[in-house]
Amino acid sequence: MIAVYRALFRQAFQIMSAYRIALYLYAIFSFIRPIIFLAAWVAVAESQGGRLGAFSTHDLAGYYVITIIVTHLSAAWDFFEFEYEVRQGRLSPKLLRPVHPIHYSITGNIMWKLWTSIAVVPVAVLIAITFDARFTTTPAHLAIGSVSLVLGASLAFVFGWIFASAAFWTTRVHSVVTLYQRAAFIFAGQVAPLSLLPGPLLAIAYALPFGYMLGVPADILRGGPDIPTALLLVGGQIVWLAIGIVLYRIVWSAGLRQYSAVGA
Amino acid sequence: MTHYLRLLRLFVTTELQFALEYRVNFALEILQMLVVAGTSVAAVLILFSYTTVMNGWTLGQMVVLLGVYYMVQGAEELVMQPSFQRFMEHVREGTLDFVLLKPVSSQFMVSFRHFETVQSLQVVLGLVITVVGVAGLASAITLASAVAFAVTLACGFVLIYALLLVLSTLAFWFVRVDNLLAIFWAFIDAGRFPVDIYPGWLRITMSTVIPVGIAVTVPAKAIAGLVDVPSVAGIVVAALIAFTVSRLFWKRGLRAYTGASA
Repeated sequence: MIAVYRALFRQAFQIMSAYRIALYLYAIFSFIRPIIFLAAWVAVAESQGGRLGAFSTHDLAGYYVITIIVTHLSAAWDFFEFEYEVRQGRLSPKLLRPVHPIHYSITGNIMWKLWTSIAVVPVAVLIAITFDARFTTTPAHLAIGSVSLVLGASLAFVFGWIFASAAFWTTRVHSVVTLYQRAAFIFAGQVAPLSLLPGPLLAIAYALPFGYMLGVPADILRGGPDIPTALLLVGGQIVWLAIGIVLYRIVWSAGLRQYSAVGA
Repeated sequence: MTHYLRLLRLFVTTELQFALEYRVNFALEILQMLVVAGTSVAAVLILFSYTTVMNGWTLGQMVVLLGVYYMVQGAEELVMQPSFQRFMEHVREGTLDFVLLKPVSSQFMVSFRHFETVQSLQVVLGLVITVVGVAGLASAITLASAVAFAVTLACGFVLIYALLLVLSTLAFWFVRVDNLLAIFWAFIDAGRFPVDIYPGWLRITMSTVIPVGIAVTVPAKAIAGLVDVPSVAGIVVAALIAFTVSRLFWKRGLRAYTGASA
């Protein structure tokens, strides 16, 4: 498996080198939205004397600066590509290979993030300076937060594939994905840090998987929750990741039975 | 002029007939629009659950702004995006020759030939949200503010059109300019909030190079009676200049077009 991954990473690297400029363009989407909502929350906080509950404007900046990085590192876009592969019958040759198609996607995903983070990190630093971001991160937060970040990215990736698998049944994956993304918009920690969501929305957010992809790792990395709470949230991530993997396996095998390429 | 209007009606009806062949898609597009707009309104409500005023904007004004945002975005997705996208394909494949041969303005043809008719409902949805927001404003709208709203909104459309025409025209030299348009897509998202809340560089970008900020913010302020006559005059002048420059640039680009195998 290690040899396979080495080959796949080399391949992913070569694909990326071919389209260098276009690669960076999509990184813009990682930072525009966090900046928009940071500006909005700072405007709200300033109308309330610079503080909202536990958040000062500097804490809000800290949260959204980390969110830029986490958004970037937990990006998953397989639903768009997979639908195309199914529709065009391009999935068929991949199925014949001894390596599951998901491994191509994993290496491509990681390679893109490694490659484009160079462009995203300076933006995050710039925003941190502009808004005078404050971080209360302890070494323990950093350690737990890093684990949480990997779990969050994995969770986003697995759910991305579950929704991508909808392509086995429908050619309208786009509509399904819009619903998924708008739920994430509200509940993942994009429009607000999770703890600023009003009452019932907060409860829903912690019950759904979206917050564990973005808001949870971002809040831990900025040093928001205390250590026991952080560990509890990581537990929640593990539970959702386990559910996600099981769901993915069920959906994938059911989908494969359903799959018939054009002309097959 | 009537000739052009008749052509426009023809384009719209054929595109509508085309779209209605795929009725489920049509219905799903509407569903998506409602979900997207609904969650955006929810985001504004979440922000306003902590305050009654945000950088001088009340909830009613923010809802108006969001409505204008969807009107501008809807107009852009209704005709500008599909038409310019097709134009760039024409340049890449050399089929622009057929468009240029037609006895009408080529700028008209590349700008208004293709419609994503379902997006007209996004414009309507934006209008509905705007009306709801206006109902929530403290002061009643006057004739002056309504006129200012209509004028500035029209100027906003012109500004966006000019930008997209310039970006598309670059295709004459660089062929693949889809990526430049992707930058535009990323920034249009920032139009959902008043341009004055953003840090300097983003505020300036949204007011000049990518004028989505002023195209949305100024009409929303105008209807609340918060825009003075010089500002309206300013945006009118800006729109005229932008339109003229983009038109000259288009003509310049057209001369650089060589066709696929010429």
